[in-house]
Amino acid sequence: MSHATTPPAPASAGTKDRSGLLARVTDVRSVYGGGEQDFTAVDGVSLELGEGEILGLAGESGCGKTTLGNTLAMIATPPLYVLSGTLEIDDEVIDLSTLSPADVKRHRPYRGSTVSMLPQGAMNAISPTVRIRSLVHDVMRAHRTGVSKDEALDRARDRLKMLEMPVRVLDSYAHQLSGGMKQRVITVISTLLDPRLLIADEPTSALDVSSQRMLVEMLLAMVEQRIMSGVVFVTHDLPVLSQVSDKLAIMNAGSIVEMGPTRQLVEDPQHPYTKKLLSSVLDPTAETRERGRDRAQGGAPAPAPSTEEAR
Amino acid sequence: MNLGRYILQKTGWYLVALVAAVGLNFLLPRLVPGNPVDVIVSNLTRGGSITGEQQQQIYETYVAEFGLDKPLWEQFFTYLGKVFTGDLGTSFANYPASVNDLVGQALPWSVAVQLPAILIGWVLGNLVGAIAAFRGGNWDRSVFTSSLFLSSMPYYCLSILLLYVLAVVAGVFPVGGAYSLGLTPELSAEFLWDAVSYYWLPFLSLVIVFIGGQAVGMRSMAIYELGGDYVNYARAMGIRDNTITKYIFRNAMLPQITGLALSIGTLVGGALITELVFNYPGVGTLLFNAISQNDYPVIQAITLIITVAVLLANFVVEIVYGFVDPRIRAAKSGEK
Repeated sequence: MSHATTPPAPASAGTKDRSGLLARVTDVRSVYGGGEQDFTAVDGVSLELGEGEILGLAGESGCGKTTLGNTLAMIATPPLYVLSGTLEIDDEVIDLSTLSPADVKRHRPYRGSTVSMLPQGAMNAISPTVRIRSLVHDVMRAHRTGVSKDEALDRARDRLKMLEMPVRVLDSYAHQLSGGMKQRVITVISTLLDPRLLIADEPTSALDVSSQRMLVEMLLAMVEQRIMSGVVFVTHDLPVLSQVSDKLAIMNAGSIVEMGPTRQLVEDPQHPYTKKLLSSVLDPTAETRERGRDRAQGGAPAPAPSTEEAR
Repeated sequence: MNLGRYILQKTGWYLVALVAAVGLNFLLPRLVPGNPVDVIVSNLTRGGSITGEQQQQIYETYVAEFGLDKPLWEQFFTYLGKVFTGDLGTSFANYPASVNDLVGQALPWSVAVQLPAILIGWVLGNLVGAIAAFRGGNWDRSVFTSSLFLSSMPYYCLSILLLYVLAVVAGVFPVGGAYSLGLTPELSAEFLWDAVSYYWLPFLSLVIVFIGGQAVGMRSMAIYELGGDYVNYARAMGIRDNTITKYIFRNAMLPQITGLALSIGTLVGGALITELVFNYPGVGTLLFNAISQNDYPVIQAITLIITVAVLLANFVVEIVYGFVDPRIRAAKSGEK
């Protein structure tokens, strides 16, 4: 097990106020199974996130990114168990462990309001038989007792107008929206209660490049407008992360192997696994393709360090 | 294509299916080797007290009555005309009783015992199945095991078991029939009270099996839905469990609606074995007696009623589905 090799650092650019600490995550351990044959998916992860900061969480498939995201969003359900970990946010320390059904119930009030989730499978994140407006109302009344449907819809309308999106989407079912629009609508619903922290789990993976750009710009605008105070952006898409995040954390085999300001980490990676991951990114420029061809003519590249070596 | 046009198109196809079913219904008894009237007349004259001349007279009366002396196409149009004017013909075995009267007497018994059993079984079975899937653990294990046991048990076995335990051994309910001897079916408190005591056993034997079947189906669907992205997202947004259960229930019930409609469609055919076990005077008993007596008009009438009811149920399912599932409505109407 290894922890972050680089201490959290304040972000480098932009107009955001990053003077304060938004959230501190300490010693998260999550396992699949819950018995003797446990598989450890997140192994003692700790990290910090400043106000208005976007933390990119990258790593190859199966490294534990989504599990960490689910743990932070407090939606771990069997066979995923959170053995330990705390999330300190707004002077409140939330115990993330889910060892009993009571823990899962205890987390409900935080979900969606303190920590919200922008899920990986937004395509199917809305029940096919529920209109967007009903989902909006259900989300609002889950956290604000007695809120009327009109009040909930007014809030959603205001938010849609603020983000220059058509208000009529509220009357739609999920199947009536395009992939990109569905993802943006889900983003609006996820941030309806102005969560302090948004966990965005591969929100751009299933989108075409123009929809990716629209979503990323929307997220940046929302952070700028303080609709949410910070984002953990989980993805294996390093080019997107290098554009979006203030800080990058590289995950491998359940642990964060390197963390630091995005530009610094991309330009001067320290950990062998980070170097390997960054060198695996496909670059569409002619120069890179040329280099790739030269390499191919010169023989097979040297084998990448194994997971154990990387750790 | 808009929804109205879609419904019109479907109605057309169902009418074609109805005409084909009516044609088959007309043709099948006539494809049986030999003349059905020969069978009836030979049954009537089996005692030997009827002379050859009388036998010929009876034969000619039946042939004229059923139009068997006319060409097949003419018989078909006569049959169609009668069917569409609500005349289902005359019974062979109970001549001169009309089939309308026989079915009219039997149908209320079948509907009265089956419709509540199907509706109550559907609602309870689906609720129990959904709760079992959502709660999991011991609740799910016990509900699943008992539901699987009940739904796997042939309903005539359960009928015989209930009959033996509750009627023969415990003596709580009457052994068979639909009402006490000496009473005549009528809408009086005395008759209804008496009929209720005969009603419970066939009702229970149907509803218990139906609850089991529905619970197993609903549980499987609900477990599938529980793993849906929309459930995870709803949980991530802090939506309460009872609201999420409603989402799951609505999506999981779609195939169950088909099952309900088809059950209601086939109920007019009677619960054959259950009615025979309890000697209940429903359509099932009527059909069984008609088959054993080669009473083609009654068999034809009952199969026709079942066909129409199943077609109607399917038609209703297609329309209702569109209202429950907006994706199907969109596909049907071409909306976007």
